[in-house]
Amino acid sequence: MILTMAWRNLWRRKRRTLITSSTVAIGLWVAMSFAGIADYSYTKMINTSASMGYGHVSVEPADYINSPTFNKRIADAEGLRDEIMKTEGITHASIKIIGQGMFGTATKAVGGLMLGIDPSRERPTENLFLRSIVEGTPFNNADSREVVVGKKLAEKLNLKIGKKLVYTATDATGNIVSEMARVSAIFKTGEETVDGSTILLPINQLRRTLHYGPRDATLISIFIDDQRQAPRIRTMLQKKLNPAGIDIWTWRETQHELAGTIALDRTLHNLFQLFVWLLVAAGILDAILMSVLERKREMGVMMAIGMSPGALFRLVIIESFLTALLGLGIGILINTPWYWYMSTTGIDLSSMVPEGYGAGGVLVDPVIKIRIYKESVAITTVSFFSLTLLAGLYPAFKASRVPPVESMKTS
Amino acid sequence: MEDGEIARFENVSKIYHQGKIQVAALKDFSFKMKKGDFTVVSGPSGSGKTTLLNVLGALDVPTSGAVYLEGRNLSALDRTELSRIRRDRIGFVFQAYNLIPVLTAYENAEFVMAIQGVPRKERRQRVMAILKDIGLEGLEDRRPDELSGGQQQRVAIARAIVTNPVVVLADEPTANLDSHTADSLLEIMEVLNHQKGITFLFSTHDPRVMERAHRIIRLTDGMLMSDEEQP
Repeated sequence: MILTMAWRNLWRRKRRTLITSSTVAIGLWVAMSFAGIADYSYTKMINTSASMGYGHVSVEPADYINSPTFNKRIADAEGLRDEIMKTEGITHASIKIIGQGMFGTATKAVGGLMLGIDPSRERPTENLFLRSIVEGTPFNNADSREVVVGKKLAEKLNLKIGKKLVYTATDATGNIVSEMARVSAIFKTGEETVDGSTILLPINQLRRTLHYGPRDATLISIFIDDQRQAPRIRTMLQKKLNPAGIDIWTWRETQHELAGTIALDRTLHNLFQLFVWLLVAAGILDAILMSVLERKREMGVMMAIGMSPGALFRLVIIESFLTALLGLGIGILINTPWYWYMSTTGIDLSSMVPEGYGAGGVLVDPVIKIRIYKESVAITTVSFFSLTLLAGLYPAFKASRVPPVESMKTS
Repeated sequence: MEDGEIARFENVSKIYHQGKIQVAALKDFSFKMKKGDFTVVSGPSGSGKTTLLNVLGALDVPTSGAVYLEGRNLSALDRTELSRIRRDRIGFVFQAYNLIPVLTAYENAEFVMAIQGVPRKERRQRVMAILKDIGLEGLEDRRPDELSGGQQQRVAIARAIVTNPVVVLADEPTANLDSHTADSLLEIMEVLNHQKGITFLFSTHDPRVMERAHRIIRLTDGMLMSDEEQP
């Protein structure tokens, strides 16, 4: 009976109900869109960052994260990688040697990042540099004396395909070592800092240069389908590998800057969502309160003939809930085609975003798309219904306190 | 509590405050009511008729004195208990009908039973029987705005009596009705009183109601002027 009354009460003022529900729907649309854009862009940035070397989860020598020197290394990294690949949920793992070095030509020298990779096990899908080659062909032999350099670095050192580059580093024993390599390819990620300071070297050649064993490395980068599973995978690996002498990290620890940028952006995003919901809640509060005040006499009568204050409270809360439900229905109607368009095509902001625009050390994709995770839908929906019910609390309280005698005197 | 007594007023006073002015709606009023009474409270406007009904109907509390319904002191009960008393023990008929506009005639009549938690099947049987008794058969699905004033008041009577209350309080029930409709409604209430023993307490100055009353209580300025039985 109460549900029937609540539903019919909504339609006593059709226009007001539709306007209020549409406000709710628009709030939901805005909230879902921003949650979807955030989920998409964060995932895109995390995946891009993972493919710049460290993966979603990384296995490193102990304390390498604080002091990344070449004297720290994982012995038999190859065997460890094979063990890691047996773990459920891991799509790929690659062995790398990563560290700082100096790169020079006859006239100039700059510092940067050396990344030793095994071309037979490195897939472009998990390696941003390999999928960003703009000139030449990357080495395909782990023993070759070739190097792939960033576009900006090539410009700084005046390097071209076939030219020589000398790289210098401190080896496993603490001595300064140098080696020469010929440029076989040039990559351009668009992120100028990265393009101006990164080189890729064949891993076996780098092992020899740094006096590493044939199966040693400084990093095993692990890739997973869903970046949100990184902490779970890390925990699984910690249990499985019993990591004496190694550290296992997720991208949050290895990519501080990105993690910080995302955390800050998410906080601002949540604040924005809160403001949207507060506006929606104010709209619902206004509409429901108005409807309660208009029906004061009627509520007085209901109270007089025996409806309990609690039942009147429930009636108004249900009206508030139904308004939200109606808003949800309209919201789904608005969101479905919008979500489909935004998840497939998106909005291209290339003309507004400068080329090479990055955040947290990662290039930002100028095409805005939506991909919303179940937990974001759940959080948004729960927040939405909670706030709607909260907005109904005060009018419901007012309704439950209606004095029957005085109320029945009102016209 | 005397045999057959259902309500008792003991030295009841009710004072309202209108700004700095105090208005005594009832002054030291005492009165007893028995099961099956068909009583009218009469008096000019402002004499305290409605206040008397409100106090007995657990809608208002006396400033002093005590009101007992079936031996329970209403002043000692909290809001929830008072609401339960109104729901289970009292039927109300108002001058302005006061039906719930979003409910049909049938739903209005079953409303109190629904909030009492009476099973749907039983509600249907009782409501249909009463709507038939009071001549509303076939109008069950109409909303109040699709019914005449007389029909609305019949629905209000159905709503008031369908729960078998101890007493039906009717505040100026004929004031908004033409004489033919008023007569027909009074006849219905008289029949319900005779046949089912339902106790009625009217507040009115309508002579047609007073003619049918078994007992007339006259109030002036909140004081009992007379309390007469009628043959």
